Amino acid sequence: MFPVLTANRMNPRLLLPLLAFAALTPVRAQPAPESATANQAIDVASGDWDGVVNIDVSVLVPDYREPWNAGQPSGGSGTGFLIGKNRFLTNAHVVSDATRILIRTSNDPEPHPARVVHVAHDCDLALIEAEDAKHFEKLTPLDFGGIPQLNTEVIAIGYPIGGDRISVTRGVVSRIDFRPYSHTSVDSHLAIQVDAAINPGNSGGPVMQGGKVVGVAFQGFSGRVAQNVGYMIPVPVIKRFLKDVEDGRYDHYVDLAASDFPIENPAQAKALGLNGGGVGVMVGDVEPAGSVGGVLKVGDVILSIDDNPVLNNGLVRFEGELMDMNEIVERKFAGDKIKLAYLRGGKKMESTVTLKRFDPYVRLGATYNQRPRYIVFAGLVFQPMDRNLMDAHQIRDRTVSYVFDNFLTDKLYVERPEPVILTTVLPDEVNTWLAPYAQSIVDEINGVKITSLKDVQTALSKKDSAFVEIRLLEKSRPLILKRELAEAAHPRIMQTYNIQGDVFLGQE
Amino acid sequence: MKLFSSLLLLLATSASFLQAQVPGPAAVKKKRIIPAAEQAAAAGAAQVAQNRSLVKVNATSQSYNLHLPWQKESPGGRRGLGVVMAGNRVLVTAQMAADATYIELELPESGQKIPAKVVAVDYEANLALLESPPSDRQKAFFAGLKPMGLDTSARIGDEVFVLQTGRVGDLIKSPLTISKVLTRRYIVEGSGFLVYEANNIVRSEANSFTLPVVKGDKLAGLLLSYDSKNQVTTVLPAPIIEHFLKDVADGSYEGFPGLGMELQATQDEQFRDYLGLKPDAPGVLITSVLKGGSAEQAGMKKGDILISINGFTIDSRGDYKDPQFGALSAGHLVRGRAYVGDKVEIKVIREGKEITLEGKLTRRKPEDYLVLPYQFDRGPKYVLMGGMLFQELSRPYLDSFGNDQRGGAILRLDRIATNPEKYEEQGRKKLVFLSLVLPTPSAQGYEKLGGQVVNKVNGKPINELADLADAFKSAKETWHVIELDDFPHILYLDTFNAERDNMKLLDGAYRIGSLKRLE
Repeated sequence: MFPVLTANRMNPRLLLPLLAFAALTPVRAQPAPESATANQAIDVASGDWDGVVNIDVSVLVPDYREPWNAGQPSGGSGTGFLIGKNRFLTNAHVVSDATRILIRTSNDPEPHPARVVHVAHDCDLALIEAEDAKHFEKLTPLDFGGIPQLNTEVIAIGYPIGGDRISVTRGVVSRIDFRPYSHTSVDSHLAIQVDAAINPGNSGGPVMQGGKVVGVAFQGFSGRVAQNVGYMIPVPVIKRFLKDVEDGRYDHYVDLAASDFPIENPAQAKALGLNGGGVGVMVGDVEPAGSVGGVLKVGDVILSIDDNPVLNNGLVRFEGELMDMNEIVERKFAGDKIKLAYLRGGKKMESTVTLKRFDPYVRLGATYNQRPRYIVFAGLVFQPMDRNLMDAHQIRDRTVSYVFDNFLTDKLYVERPEPVILTTVLPDEVNTWLAPYAQSIVDEINGVKITSLKDVQTALSKKDSAFVEIRLLEKSRPLILKRELAEAAHPRIMQTYNIQGDVFLGQE
Repeated sequence: MKLFSSLLLLLATSASFLQAQVPGPAAVKKKRIIPAAEQAAAAGAAQVAQNRSLVKVNATSQSYNLHLPWQKESPGGRRGLGVVMAGNRVLVTAQMAADATYIELELPESGQKIPAKVVAVDYEANLALLESPPSDRQKAFFAGLKPMGLDTSARIGDEVFVLQTGRVGDLIKSPLTISKVLTRRYIVEGSGFLVYEANNIVRSEANSFTLPVVKGDKLAGLLLSYDSKNQVTTVLPAPIIEHFLKDVADGSYEGFPGLGMELQATQDEQFRDYLGLKPDAPGVLITSVLKGGSAEQAGMKKGDILISINGFTIDSRGDYKDPQFGALSAGHLVRGRAYVGDKVEIKVIREGKEITLEGKLTRRKPEDYLVLPYQFDRGPKYVLMGGMLFQELSRPYLDSFGNDQRGGAILRLDRIATNPEKYEEQGRKKLVFLSLVLPTPSAQGYEKLGGQVVNKVNGKPINELADLADAFKSAKETWHVIELDDFPHILYLDTFNAERDNMKLLDGAYRIGSLKRLE
């Protein structure tokens, strides 16, 4: 109903996630002439494209309904390409939840086991390496180019559906824009749209121009929604990822965590102390836990960001193009500083803030490579609220929907950083009256306010009363279990429902 | 209009016709009686009996557009069979009278018609009384009719009949056997009323919003709903009708009282232990006591165990033993069996001790709620300023969004409607929100907004819509300052340009007749 214009957190239209991953053939050899003379033959046997590999992945999809189970085995295949010594770049979604990764090159039938070195879900990129580097020592890594211009030709290389061998498709750059990345569904970054066919299986493969990589193919629309719309991750996003992991760790994107509201209204401009010129965007909301929390206030007018003037619609002129002002933040890293000039009550002010990741939004997006956390007690299953859980349980409860939907807008994370949901009641004599209360948010247990799953464990270990008292958010009665009966029933329920462990709080 | 000129035809094709024609609020629509399968021709042939207490009622209804409140929806027709009561009044369900623009009575046999008006209506009890202004014509109309008496004695197992009239006024009776008595809400949000549930096939002559149910030759109730698939009929019973008529008869209508509390069953043994209840002891837990309600005035508190009302023991389910109907929800003790102003005696257990509370029964009017639970016959309040449309939140407005459209803003508003306490404590009488922005020059840049709660305008707190209209008169600068509860929290509107745009809205493309409705 209204726009929330925050960096990395725009509500994306749902792009169809790429279900299949394509394999990719070596791309590197033949530069595609920019003048579009088209069809230059490619000799696969030359070995020039051996750096583009097929990635075959076995996956365990975590089970958020029965979190104690290992999950559902599945698999897929995608593409990756050599960018350095035993370093292959691919999409995060190609290797997410992987239990086994095999690399195959086009001229060698032998599968080579590989492992993930770094994965960045927020920009859908991953670096993997072969367990035995020897085989790839002789291959030449691909080089990176820059941002290609509109209407210039590119080729996408990979192993998409439609056959087993390498595939090349050709098209032009159609658009350069800030777009949602569907892998997490809550992150948006620069993306380049091309009309070269990008199909399931192309994921992780290089898109090339003039013999250089200008992007990584990663998502597209189903043909039922739009034709010839494929997206690639552009070089600035790739380089940012590679730079971030140089220190051996991925620190994620940083965010101002403030929402801007355009200044288009003349009265608004006047009231905010602006006298035309089209510079300045209003702050419409500030996340107290974000980078500018305590610095910016609602009603401030951001005039410039790192000395780049911000226009009234939130755009900046950056590297010659008009871009979302968040693009400046995007290029920075956790701990970097950013200079903000803003108008407050007609007075010009300046602040330098240290950028950090804004954590609360993470649980609103899909997460990967994580074993679901849970606590089972006397058949009551407690799990932390996040998108994976919401999707798996198809929760319809009004209070839960409200809390999930307004977790940021109503700043609910401040009071309850990790809402805990009583997701399931595994029926047993001891809890037979409690079944209707499944899918509620837990407010308190034994007098302890529940702000994270850990709190549930702490609260349940309080044994000063003969009763276990569980209060739910906006539910009329507390759930009461006699401690003695509950503790007696617990092992029985664990056995009956085949639950190996009653607690998993995470690896940390 | 077409409806009445071709009435004969309509009777023949009623099923599909009414389905298409009746717009009206969703709650009303839901309860429309679903036509039964055609009856076998042989069964009805022998009957040519007439009933001198029935008149056909034709009503045209037209509700307001909840999103563009200066407009009305297209009108639709409703038909039913009213029951003649004393004083030449006609009893129908409130659904017949809701948002009515024109009502007429029709003699089943001769087809003679006369216009009528609503004299009393209660949307919670779903009952309305119609009357035709006294005149010679009115006298002649009612000359052949006689009032029908009430029979409140029906109980489980009794046989009753649904009455319908055929094309020439011939009486059609469908037998029903009452199988259950329970309490349930009728057509609007709120507490439950007494309902008879019965099983049998009801043949449907014409789609209808009111059909009488008789026991012998007296009125035992009005048909509420008929589910043709499961052949389950619900009936609005005579005890509720009697309550309504008595209340109307004394000249001032008070409505059905309520205690104003929420209770929680205590069958769960572990929960009982926790509450300190003995295994076989009666009583339910009071989980909330409404501010200003009868229960609060009597001194009831959250956490009390309610054990009896007016001498009737309340069991662990929250039921009492009704001498006529058996186990029935405690709510009926107050709502159905008592009147506003009556004394009530409540026994509770508090801190292990039994105490007796006494109080007077009251009724919470729909206007007393932060969010109007229902609204008929009147247009929603609104204020338009420079294209920005402000309204008071109502349940019908929230319900007008399908479940799929319940995005962030509607979910937020819906939650306030369900948990209004925090906003009531702030002193708000109604929740004023920005519902829509029409594209005008003065509201440039605000077009995508909608669903934000308004806190202040020009520095003045907005506790109801009238405050907002006033506050717009006192801008401190050449712009209005509108403070919202949600993103983007603050909006500015040029005072002069907003007035200029107001004028354009009145005359221009939107053809808005009035910039506000505050009554």
